[in-house]
Amino acid sequence: MLKNKKYPKALMLSMAVSAASLGLSLGAYADQYSDAAKKWVSEEFETSTLSQAEQLKEMAWFTEAAEQFRGMEINVVSETIATHEYESNVLAKAFAEITGIKVTHNLIQEGDVIEKLQTQMQSGRNIYDAYVNDSDLVGTHWRYGKVVSISDMMAGDGKSVTNPMLDLDDFIGLDFTTAPDGKIYQLPDQQFANLYWFRADWFEREDLRKQFKDIYGYELGVPVNWSAYEDIAEFFTVSVKEIDGQHVYGHMDYGKKDPSLGWRFTDAWFSMAGAGDKGLPNGMPVDEWGIRVEECHPVGSSVTRGGATNGPAAVYATEKYVDWLRKYAPPEAQGMTFSEAGPVPAQGNIAQQIFWYTAFTSSMTEKGLPVVNEDGTPKWRMAPSPHGPYWEEGMKLGYQDVGSWTFLDSTPKKRRLAAWLYAQFTVAKTVSLEKTLVGLTPIRESDINSQAMTDAAPMLGGLVEFYRSPDRVNWSPTGTNVPDYPKLAQLWWQYIAQAASGERTPQQALDGLAEAQDKVMMRLERASVMATCGPKLNEPREASYWFNQPGAPKAKIANEKPQGETVPYKDLLKRWEGARKE
Amino acid sequence: MKMNKRKNFGITAYIILLMLPIYWLLNMSFKTNQEILGQLTLFPHDFTLANYATIFTDPSWYSGYINSMIYVSMNVVITLLVALPAAYAFSRYKFVGDKHLFFWLLSNRMAPPAVFLLPFFQLYSSIGLFDTHIAVALAHCLFNVPLAVWILEGFISGVPKEYDEMAYIDGYSFPKFFVKIFIPMIRSGIGVAAFFAFMFSWVELLLARTLTSVDAQPIGAIMTRTMGASGIDWGVLSAAGVLTILPGLLVVWFVRNHIATGFALGRV
Repeated sequence: MLKNKKYPKALMLSMAVSAASLGLSLGAYADQYSDAAKKWVSEEFETSTLSQAEQLKEMAWFTEAAEQFRGMEINVVSETIATHEYESNVLAKAFAEITGIKVTHNLIQEGDVIEKLQTQMQSGRNIYDAYVNDSDLVGTHWRYGKVVSISDMMAGDGKSVTNPMLDLDDFIGLDFTTAPDGKIYQLPDQQFANLYWFRADWFEREDLRKQFKDIYGYELGVPVNWSAYEDIAEFFTVSVKEIDGQHVYGHMDYGKKDPSLGWRFTDAWFSMAGAGDKGLPNGMPVDEWGIRVEECHPVGSSVTRGGATNGPAAVYATEKYVDWLRKYAPPEAQGMTFSEAGPVPAQGNIAQQIFWYTAFTSSMTEKGLPVVNEDGTPKWRMAPSPHGPYWEEGMKLGYQDVGSWTFLDSTPKKRRLAAWLYAQFTVAKTVSLEKTLVGLTPIRESDINSQAMTDAAPMLGGLVEFYRSPDRVNWSPTGTNVPDYPKLAQLWWQYIAQAASGERTPQQALDGLAEAQDKVMMRLERASVMATCGPKLNEPREASYWFNQPGAPKAKIANEKPQGETVPYKDLLKRWEGARKE
Repeated sequence: MKMNKRKNFGITAYIILLMLPIYWLLNMSFKTNQEILGQLTLFPHDFTLANYATIFTDPSWYSGYINSMIYVSMNVVITLLVALPAAYAFSRYKFVGDKHLFFWLLSNRMAPPAVFLLPFFQLYSSIGLFDTHIAVALAHCLFNVPLAVWILEGFISGVPKEYDEMAYIDGYSFPKFFVKIFIPMIRSGIGVAAFFAFMFSWVELLLARTLTSVDAQPIGAIMTRTMGASGIDWGVLSAAGVLTILPGLLVVWFVRNHIATGFALGRV
């Protein structure tokens, strides 16, 4: 038998070669990812609260943690706003180059995101590996038990893929995504608030200030209460009428029978009037939807069951909405939807708007608009929203939209963890300041306090000042009292529209709404589909019983239009600045 | 002469009325959002192609058109392949329950697509077809096959049975007869059936949207992204709208001659 003496040698050689090439390729891989990290950090994520060395350290962690998922393709979905566009077009690409995980960050309309989320929750079939879903659904997610809580994931199967530099305490919206069981259910990805918007240049004009004081007896300024807002609305629409040859209005809103009419109310309208109870981020036991909760169980929304959806404060708020829309807004506003009404103030004939989303900031600072100065600074400012006569200190005063990463238990574990990595990447300190500057939806305290935000502040009409102020905490999303957001939210626009069109009185419309909400909750109770704290409705009893209890539902107050109160915008800024330094 | 003038006037007015929304869509697609929202202009003062550029340069936008075209073409082919033999059988043979079956086929179309949504979703997810083109194409067949069978049956019954027999006597095998002689005789009917299948599948959104997430997402679902919390991107939405009309126009252009004869001969 011929012996191949060369065999061991050949074997050794080939082993050496393959080992070397393996080493080389591993080295090449490592280089490829770290090169990508260097490129992205120095070219795209230049503005950051971290030093470049810290950024690279964080990126190196991502590269390493993602090793087990390399080559995977995952799909995540969110609604369309500038922040998510940035994530979809820039961050997903950077993440793929730095980690080797390919992400398709799909952008669709918010309603469609919720529809997909519900389909996945109900069918148990994986559609997307992660969702950016508004934290308004936190009560829904916590009760149905279909969402993997972030706290559990970080302590459990996701421990090894949780960024040690994530710094949860730095997030400003964590309260909103935490359920009564103390667990965080969603990770905030973008936030924007709903504030008062006004034409600071007009409010500064001496002739208008004098005219206002002559008529109403107090200074024209940022309204603190609804009485002042109403006076200013009347002043511009009825008394001033025209500024520099242009017809002007003192109020803007929308009234078309459309789902967006519901957001207008569920978001915050009743809380601004003061319909709920005290408590932050949401009133307890009755929240701004008018839903009462006892020992974590929703027990009703009609006054007769202890709720406040059709209580005097809610009726007052609805009446004001209808009245102001008719009397002080441009006539076409009645037939507009949220998206149609949103850009109207930018056209330059609206003096103030009580309910304005800061998501419109960048579209209202474009050069060439009638509401923007030559140098690019805005002629308008945003300020805290005024409150109604039922409102008391310690209650929420407006809405904050907190789009948050949400993971479902029906997503296969490996895909969920890969998506968790991507989610952390989109909020990592390395990228979050740059993302905030693009989308103007801040989520981190460190970003808000950064020099870059100070530099951007003059162009943003008060956004930075608001987010740095102690008042910020009064703006919050829907809380945990709402047991099934999609099912209940869809009732609102249909009933509110009846009041808006004059088909029924506000009281009748809200009675219908409260009853419809109770029916849905009754069905949820009967079906016992909720894993925890499902509705347990109270038996109806005399409304007077509930009015005599402390807190909401509150009985009708005699004078719903107290003296109007305003504050100069400059004083407001000074107060905020002072509070920040303390 | 007078009559003609009046007729012309009527037709012109009618066409203008019909074309106005389409013109407005086209008009908006060449405007900036600022112009659309700021003032009423009859033609773009600040002409821009940026809206179209957004669609053509972003793969997540234009892939929607490609996805839609893929599943629509698949659907048309499957519909015709299935409906032609079925329509032939219904027309030429008598069998137990043929009339009932024929009517039952059509009754599928009487249920709204939403009814089939969840069963389809469950079925396709469990067999791994979720988010594929073929899933949407097959789902649309539920509606298109019955209609195509009904249309084609009308055309086929219009062809005397003697043709079949003559071909048989002349020595044609059945498949050869069907492809070489029969199909050319009913090509107008096939054109009309294909047209209806195309139209249904192209505009149907509910099923297409629910059965897909990323890889087979139809353009209609992608168009919703123009609506966000900071308003509607009217310009891009209009450009996307214009581009969705184009494939339909092309199809109508190609079948325009057949359609006239098709409508006259068939039962529709």
